Amino acid sequence: MNFLTLAAKNLLRRRGRTLLTVMGVAIAVSVLFSLLALNSGYEKELNKEVNSLGAHILAVPKGCPYEAASLVIHGGVIPKYLSEADLHNISKINGIELATPILMHQFIRQDAKTGKDVPHIVYGIKIDEMRALKPWWKVQGRYFTDNETNIMLVGRGLADKENLTVGMILPAGPFKNFTIIGILDRIGDQDDNFHFVPLAEVQRVFNKEGKITTVAVKVKDINQISEISDKLEKIPDIQVVTMTQIMGTIMNMAGSAKSLLLTVIAIALIISAFGIINTLLMSVNERTREFGMMKAIGASGMDIGRMVMAETVFITVIGGLIGTIAAIVGSSLIEGFVKGMLPYSPRGSLISLSPELIAFSLVFSVALGLICGIYPAFKSSRLTPMEAIRGGIE
Amino acid sequence: MSVLEAKDLTKIYRRGREEIYALKSVDFSVDSGEFVSIIGPSGSGKTALLNVLGCLDTPTRGSLLLNGTETSGMKESNLVKLRRDNIGFVFQQFYLMPTLTACENIELPLLFSKKNENKRRIEDVLEMVSLADRGDHLPGQLSGGEMQRVAIGRALINDPKIILADEPTGNLDSTTSKMIFELFSELNRKGLTLVVVTHNLDLAKQAQKMYTLQDGRIVSCDDLACVLGRDDLAVKQEVF
Repeated sequence: MNFLTLAAKNLLRRRGRTLLTVMGVAIAVSVLFSLLALNSGYEKELNKEVNSLGAHILAVPKGCPYEAASLVIHGGVIPKYLSEADLHNISKINGIELATPILMHQFIRQDAKTGKDVPHIVYGIKIDEMRALKPWWKVQGRYFTDNETNIMLVGRGLADKENLTVGMILPAGPFKNFTIIGILDRIGDQDDNFHFVPLAEVQRVFNKEGKITTVAVKVKDINQISEISDKLEKIPDIQVVTMTQIMGTIMNMAGSAKSLLLTVIAIALIISAFGIINTLLMSVNERTREFGMMKAIGASGMDIGRMVMAETVFITVIGGLIGTIAAIVGSSLIEGFVKGMLPYSPRGSLISLSPELIAFSLVFSVALGLICGIYPAFKSSRLTPMEAIRGGIE
Repeated sequence: MSVLEAKDLTKIYRRGREEIYALKSVDFSVDSGEFVSIIGPSGSGKTALLNVLGCLDTPTRGSLLLNGTETSGMKESNLVKLRRDNIGFVFQQFYLMPTLTACENIELPLLFSKKNENKRRIEDVLEMVSLADRGDHLPGQLSGGEMQRVAIGRALINDPKIILADEPTGNLDSTTSKMIFELFSELNRKGLTLVVVTHNLDLAKQAQKMYTLQDGRIVSCDDLACVLGRDDLAVKQEVF
């Protein structure tokens, strides 16, 4: 027998109370774990999403540049347009390696399986320029050329969802009779869910000849981004958003929501800590005579304190394990809840589970146990044998 | 040689401004191998004396030598060691850990004395208290007498110089009480020193020396080896 066995057996004496305390810790650790997983996941996904555009700067029509940037990243319709003249002006600026026009459009197509109307996003692009911007693209089938008509590429996610295959001819929608000539390999970002069609074809189909939604700009030297942005801003009708600005602004917007969440977590943890301390103190008070007996048979104050501390650490470690497992299992639920609270959410999974995070949660629960156990352990260790035993004797 | 030697032991409890004398200048000694009983009515100071003798409580005045070591003024950390190495306690309420088996309850002091678990020693003690076949039973599965025997086993495991028992038969019926005292007598025959506080005069008479306490003072010390059968014991029977 050792102190751990003794502590475990003590806890089993009051199963109901122990279970409730463990659940209190589990909830606190679960919330903490989820928030930390979310925090690192959010930044990672946002970075990935912004970088997946491959451009350093986005030139968008005047209006809210961040909304426009967000729509460009996620896919959506911006009701304002730039002209090909704007593109020409942008291309003339020194230091730009590549400026490629994009026309985004949304359309509705009936799902073959469910019969429901499903919104789709199409990107009108110049294929060679886009491939230069996104060198990681790989295709099953082939890429189109800018002059081809009635052809398209689709993302792997979309292809899997709608059972689209290379060579298939679309039966309905604005792209009726378009042939799928290639499916992009899965990338893990929003491109997986888009249609890609030559720019001229999108302009023709939606009657937007000469119009573009945005110009994605890649600079030769990233140190010149701000200098080039200033030059771009001088072109009338154009607003400029750099990827760094997008990241910063979105992180700022998310920051306030995260602060609120952090406050909630802090309160949950404090309540949980007091719950643990209260349970332990109750347990210590109920067992004073037992401690007195232990002191009489040779236990030192340190021994008693160590036993109480071991009980606390048991509770918090088990609670920590349950909380971490619950957070991993229920991460999608938590993610759904949190996504609703954030002003901007990347499409990918926001929860990033890493071994370091799991280790941190467990270390945190042990630390919580040690902190919560200090006072009850101190109190029990300070009892003199007589103080402890007197209640039961004469 | 005296295992315990108390001189002028006084214990005062304070309740507000009121001073309650639990012990008044008690002189007391127990020689090695002696079986001593302490009797007296409720509130006479029996338990207070036992607690001071066992270093569970400190005297307000007086001195106490335990196995030749002066204990008054000693720090609690030193007293722990002294208790652990010299004294075995038996309580009226047994104070067994309900989730530990008889064996584990007996083993508990070894955990605190940091001595290696010695299975042979535990088995020997179990046999000594006639519980060889009940070692894996939880206290809830044992009778009152068996629980007290486990508590006695627990007091014996560290091989103490003296056993201090406070009303060890207080919660037991007369037959079981007799068996417990027979066990004490047997342990004493094997050389163990015992001090037992009891209300039961019949059982107290089985000791070699009987102290009588009243109002915190020792009013008599009977050497039972000589006085057994004396009439005044019958008088005492009426008092308690």
